[in-house]
Amino acid sequence: MKRIKVSDISKNNEEQLLHIKEEELMQLPYIGEAENKGEPVKPLTEKQQAGFEHSLDGVSACTIPKPKDKEEEERFVRSFLEGLKKLISEKDNWTFLQQLLLSLDSCAKCQTCNDACSIYLGSGKQDIYRPTYRSEVLRRIVNKYIKKGGKIFAKLTGSDVDLNWATIARLAELAYRCTMCRRCAASCPLGCDNGLITHELRKLFSEEMGIAAKELHDLGTVQQLKVGASTGITPPAFKDIVQFMEEEIEEKTGKKIKIPVDKKGADILLIHNSGEYLSWLENPEAFAIIFEEAGISWTLSSELYGYEGTNYGVWYDDIQFSRVALKHIEIARKLNVKKIVVGECGHATKALVVIADRILVDDMNFPRESALPLLYDLVCNGKLKLDPTRNNFPVTLHDPCNMVRLMGIVEPQREVLRKICPDFREMEPHGVDNYCCGGGSGFAIMQSMNFPDWRSAVSGRMKMKQILEAFSDVISPEHKKYVCAPCSNCKGQIRELFNYYNVNEKYGIYYGGLVELIVNAMVDIEKPFIEWDWH
Amino acid sequence: MPKATLGGIEIEIDEDGFIQEPEKWSKEVAEDLAKIEEAYPMGEDHWKVVNYLRDYYLKYEIAPPIRMLVKQTGMDLKKIYQLFPSGPAKGACKVAGLPKPTGCV
Repeated sequence: MKRIKVSDISKNNEEQLLHIKEEELMQLPYIGEAENKGEPVKPLTEKQQAGFEHSLDGVSACTIPKPKDKEEEERFVRSFLEGLKKLISEKDNWTFLQQLLLSLDSCAKCQTCNDACSIYLGSGKQDIYRPTYRSEVLRRIVNKYIKKGGKIFAKLTGSDVDLNWATIARLAELAYRCTMCRRCAASCPLGCDNGLITHELRKLFSEEMGIAAKELHDLGTVQQLKVGASTGITPPAFKDIVQFMEEEIEEKTGKKIKIPVDKKGADILLIHNSGEYLSWLENPEAFAIIFEEAGISWTLSSELYGYEGTNYGVWYDDIQFSRVALKHIEIARKLNVKKIVVGECGHATKALVVIADRILVDDMNFPRESALPLLYDLVCNGKLKLDPTRNNFPVTLHDPCNMVRLMGIVEPQREVLRKICPDFREMEPHGVDNYCCGGGSGFAIMQSMNFPDWRSAVSGRMKMKQILEAFSDVISPEHKKYVCAPCSNCKGQIRELFNYYNVNEKYGIYYGGLVELIVNAMVDIEKPFIEWDWH
Repeated sequence: MPKATLGGIEIEIDEDGFIQEPEKWSKEVAEDLAKIEEAYPMGEDHWKVVNYLRDYYLKYEIAPPIRMLVKQTGMDLKKIYQLFPSGPAKGACKVAGLPKPTGCV
């Protein structure tokens, strides 16, 4: 395997630093080469190669166009430096400056974090995916180009990185080869946060240079602020979907439920990731069944921004993040609810419940929480009549990084599963030590060119391994198995992984959320709620 | 935005081949898109899916939930994958002239 040095990132040519090869990737149990259909990441077409930056690893996540002339190259470098100055200035970076500077200054280069990173391990330990590689590039640029006497110092110490178009373009792509799961930060003896450095880099690229994955920005937050949801669901479409949910619930469970919409003064405003309504409608349906059964005072909102919990800004842009978070609070205030509860979506929960604290100061504050502790209360304190034998199949639990490692919501979902799933088994490792699904930080929805291949072959590889290992005693397809992933983004990634490695058909592994398992165990419902159909 | 000739006319497409000018969609455009999507020749079932998606899109400016598509066309997802190998979102929606699905879907 070829070693790649930190300074290699500034090779000012189009040479690809890394070529991803099947034989160098981490080995997977049960998955032979046959499943992987030749090359793990299909190369870009000639036309794509000619148009877009791909000299990091042959993948393009951000569709960065190649420069037309020297002048454009220089403008690119100047703009990066401007952004970098802002990133490390108190006046311009009021959100995460302290953590950024401490992480840049304190790293002892012990490399402990490398073995914590699922992408680095999944890739077969390729240098460019080390959590410290990206950070060291940024550190060297800051030291050389921003600090006084930096250029001389860089020469003397040999820790040199040249700033040119290729360095910056590769670094921008590299900011999209980390899911910001922050397992590295949890493993660092000094508390350095390389995941945060990824976040800050993405912020610089987005806010200063207009570089971001278009699924997160143009089709994500921009679309959300314009039409109400990143999925494009409009209020009339939302109302139509709610009506369809009521019909489906009655058909499937015999229960006649009127789903409360825009009910002023309800205790809870429940906000789902709007992707649930399009791809996994059974999840919001199950929430409605549970809440009604438990007699909770709750409502959905059909207003613009009120039925969409996503806030992709949390992954790449503080300004977009703030705009979306403020909309969520506005809706809740207007409905005069007591609190917002976020459904099964990791980033939406962390964004609204934790990160939004940075802007919701004083009387702007508003009670917000995750649905998981509430579900724990309903299931474990006897507020629903449940029969665990109805969930008599192997179940494992995926821990969404945002809610588990990064918010500390570890036990409620496990307590629920212990109570209602007799064959619940943990993945190893799990809880706050879990591995990311590989779709974190927006990867699950990024579709640019060959990026989906990379996401399944490299960033999700470790999760695929964990899932297969959790079911190794029941691996044959006649045992139907369920991966419980209480997060829309993780579910999307797990679906793509299962398609890529063909494990649904071959090994009978399905996936879904937590609430579906709860409804499946409800004694007064005749037919099983979980239908075991692939979607 | 690149252009492609579909159904005998030039139409803007995105990098994944979704048409960007939904008003230019026609049966002929759909058939050319179906060729790219390995969904050609289009039989009655193909059209049932495409017409349902198209009608829903014209009413609500978005694709319907997958469960709604399955129910209203009376075809399960396996069948839809047989008709459109890239699936309902990337395959069937493309042939029906809808924009590429966005968000966490």
